[in-house]
Amino acid sequence: MVAWAVDAVQGLVALVLAPGVVGLVRWLKARLQSRRGAPPWQPYRELRKLFAKEVVVSTNASWLFRIAPYVVFASTTAATFLVPFLAVPRPLDAVGDLLVLVYLLLLATVFLALAGLDPGSAFGGMGSSREMTVAALAEPTIALAIFALALSAGSTNLGQIVARTLADPATALSPGHLLAFAALFVVMLAENGRLPVDNPATHLELTMIHEAMVLEYSGRYLALVEWAAALKLLVFFSLLGNLFVPWGVAVALTPGALAVAAGSVVVKFVLLAVGIAVFETRVAKLRLFRVPELLSVSFVLALLAVTSSFLAR
Amino acid sequence: MDTLFAQLVVLESSLALLFGLGMLWRRGVPAYISAFLWQSLVLAAVAATVGYFGRERELYLVAALLVVVKALAIPWLLRDMERRFASERELAPYVNTATSLVLAGLLVLFAYAIMRPVVAASQLPTRTGLPLAMGLVLVSLFVVMSRKKALTQVVGFLMLENGIALLAILGTYGIPLIVELGVFLDALMGFLVMQIFVYRIHETFDTIDVDQLDRLRH
Repeated sequence: MVAWAVDAVQGLVALVLAPGVVGLVRWLKARLQSRRGAPPWQPYRELRKLFAKEVVVSTNASWLFRIAPYVVFASTTAATFLVPFLAVPRPLDAVGDLLVLVYLLLLATVFLALAGLDPGSAFGGMGSSREMTVAALAEPTIALAIFALALSAGSTNLGQIVARTLADPATALSPGHLLAFAALFVVMLAENGRLPVDNPATHLELTMIHEAMVLEYSGRYLALVEWAAALKLLVFFSLLGNLFVPWGVAVALTPGALAVAAGSVVVKFVLLAVGIAVFETRVAKLRLFRVPELLSVSFVLALLAVTSSFLAR
Repeated sequence: MDTLFAQLVVLESSLALLFGLGMLWRRGVPAYISAFLWQSLVLAAVAATVGYFGRERELYLVAALLVVVKALAIPWLLRDMERRFASERELAPYVNTATSLVLAGLLVLFAYAIMRPVVAASQLPTRTGLPLAMGLVLVSLFVVMSRKKALTQVVGFLMLENGIALLAILGTYGIPLIVELGVFLDALMGFLVMQIFVYRIHETFDTIDVDQLDRLRH
């Protein structure tokens, strides 16, 4: 019973924390570029404002356009509940493993792309087409990269993978893990519309991907889509932070262990946010036609990760 | 202690391979040079690690030499060359990026396959790094074959040398110091000869694209 409660609480905390993480990345980036920047809690203000605003929908839009934000938000939330944040093993592991996680994320991507096509605006269609190009290359890489971990842990359950790595810390430094981490990091950038694949700071640019798809949304729909995007970033952060560097995750449900887990998760998130902010400040956006090449780099890395953990067993 | 040693060595070898693979994706000559620089630093770290855990004093000297020769001197000379041919920065490989990445991946798999008996027969704690070193050798050979510019072929050759050095350090805890010194001198001399050669190619053909070498002058 306590385990279920902890699982529910960690999911809800993630839900609340997600916009803050995005705000933190934005703030760090602004400071690095010697701008003052909005405070890290700015996304909460934006969400509050958007939820209060009226919704404007194009007359060409169908029911799909209206349900898409709910589907996107619901599936990303479900994915959030599947990822281990604080404690393992988790009762929610019985609900779904890494395959479910990948498909939930893909479901959100597909619905967002459909919603981009639905109102028939030129920009939305372009964004959807690009998003699908990126997703088709990125999704298999996520699955492969996590499979590399699953192979050495002997289970596709995310909680089990964390528990096994904690029990045998030596495996965390194997070549398979390192290559998989590099692959997943690149995919994280691509999937969340960060530089060098997409520019998250712009609204009107011919090369934008995520923002092009959600250009037609307003009011609470936009709020849900933005919140879901923040959640997705948090899901990837916790995959990178907890699957590859599982130290700090609680294995017993004592208050002390949970406090350590909460502290270490916050430290990992802040470190990853700093990493992204520094990286985004250093690199320029790639030409769109080079994005598939970048993603094939990460795919090859993930493939090598799987084979090396298969052969090195 | 042994597991920590093995993990560290494998981590560093995979980093070295990672720099070799990452290079395939990059386009500019400066990116090639910095990839080579980082790889040499990682190689020096491998030498130092093996020296520490294997109690081979000589390997510290090898690590220091690696830093001086391969991470400072050669990159400096390469940058100097690169500045001279600044107009020829954009690379045009024979094989496009996506295909060369897939091929490189297959080469690493091949390296795993051929090194299997060696890894199985070896008792060294460094044995898990051997296929990675072999993979680096094959991938750099591929770089030499598939790039058109003489300068990038030179970098590929230097990476090949790195791969062989890695293989030697992992497989035998370093060859005798006198041989190691000879290899360093060889690499440096080879590099200088290649440098002169590249200058001559550039002087004669007004380009360092080796594709142009099969035509007569003008």
